[in-house]
Amino acid sequence: MNNLPSGADLLSIARDTLLSELLPLASGEARYALLMVANAMAIAAREAEAGDAPVKSAVARLEKLYGETLSGDALESRLSEYERRLTQDIRAGVFDTHDDRQRALLAHLRESVLDRLRISNPKSFKSEKP
Amino acid sequence: MTIDDSARERLEGFVRDKVAADHLSISRLERMTGGAVQQNWAVDANVEGGTFAGPQRWVMRIDAPAKVAESLSRAEEFRVLEAMRRAEVLAPRALWLCDDAAVMGRSFFIMERLPGVAAGHKVARDAALVPDRKRLARELAVNLARIHTLTPASAGLEFLKTRLARDNVAHYRAYLDTLRESHSVLEWGLRWCEISAPEREEVTFIHRDYRTGNYLVAEGKMSGVLDWEFVGYGNPLEDVGWLFAKCWRFGQHHYPVGGVAQADDFLREYEAASGRRVDSAALVYWQVMAHVRWAVIALQQRERHRSGIEPSLELALTGHILSDLELEILELTERQ
Repeated sequence: MNNLPSGADLLSIARDTLLSELLPLASGEARYALLMVANAMAIAAREAEAGDAPVKSAVARLEKLYGETLSGDALESRLSEYERRLTQDIRAGVFDTHDDRQRALLAHLRESVLDRLRISNPKSFKSEKP
Repeated sequence: MTIDDSARERLEGFVRDKVAADHLSISRLERMTGGAVQQNWAVDANVEGGTFAGPQRWVMRIDAPAKVAESLSRAEEFRVLEAMRRAEVLAPRALWLCDDAAVMGRSFFIMERLPGVAAGHKVARDAALVPDRKRLARELAVNLARIHTLTPASAGLEFLKTRLARDNVAHYRAYLDTLRESHSVLEWGLRWCEISAPEREEVTFIHRDYRTGNYLVAEGKMSGVLDWEFVGYGNPLEDVGWLFAKCWRFGQHHYPVGGVAQADDFLREYEAASGRRVDSAALVYWQVMAHVRWAVIALQQRERHRSGIEPSLELALTGHILSDLELEILELTERQ
């Protein structure tokens, strides 16, 4: 067990300190750099918080799409394997026709993008129509 | 890159010879913002005698130490600017090219420095800078139509390559294949671009970076188009799609034309000036291609950081705009 507070907690209080105590002292390029640092810290914190939930749900969607479960390997490598296959199939035209398969693909792609947006840029996620 | 006194004197000597001046002194030589690929330096000079007597404001365009494979050489860009001048496009006038590395260490050219503001968020949001959006829409349209009057046969720029819709698809796929991970949303966008590609395409000279942020506005008027390093031959509608793409609206989504103007104000003028019809399907098509292209560029920038070649927070964060671009690709393709 690591000492507390956790890394995520530290990131959060470090970012608050940066924005409230350092940002007001900066101008011009330094201000721009600090805002980028704050953004990077927020992304890292959201990524830590999300954990492996996005990977898990992506694998579950792809298992359903392909109707089979890849055995063995770690979650991440199973996802890479599915994604490689998806790339080949998309290029080969497997999803060209407007049918259930295509709908399932598009639903998966959208969920994946939204999961990444929640981490990378939740602001634009909020502006999306429900 | 810094420029020491002896380099400054060599630069003075180079220009003095070009303008046949009795005396020429550079009073300001400063790096301008922007230009990760090429550097722009503001050059203020006082000239006595010769063909350019008086105070002068120029820009020196010189390669940055790290080259980007896809961009033109300075000598090629110089010829492009000359061709744009002949086509009466609003662009900086190219003045003198120097291929002699003994002067500045790399090849460079001098061009006129046009007045105005280019920064995208200012042009898109500052009503004092752009009081008349319809006027800017017309200027953007007329200039783009003029750019598109040049063809591979007429432009005389034999070093430029032609890339049409399907060539773009192949080009971006080839890049994705160099990456370790897969990008299924971009693959979907590329497949969509492949099967929706136009049967026949017109080929003209195209700018390939014609967007808000890359043209100057001064006193409410467009004063010049910048950033000519990615030009080539291709489908002229590629430029229209790039200009309209959501990723270049600087948050001003109620103005689909680069965050500055309404679609009709631009399209009416572009169609009249070019004699070309821009139907809504083509407009969507080239916006999808624009987002795929920007996503590929974002990946390339991210990889410059990740590979350790150029560690940079700014480049690293570029990797995180990817999902915004991907969402727009899904929105546009699912609507069809």
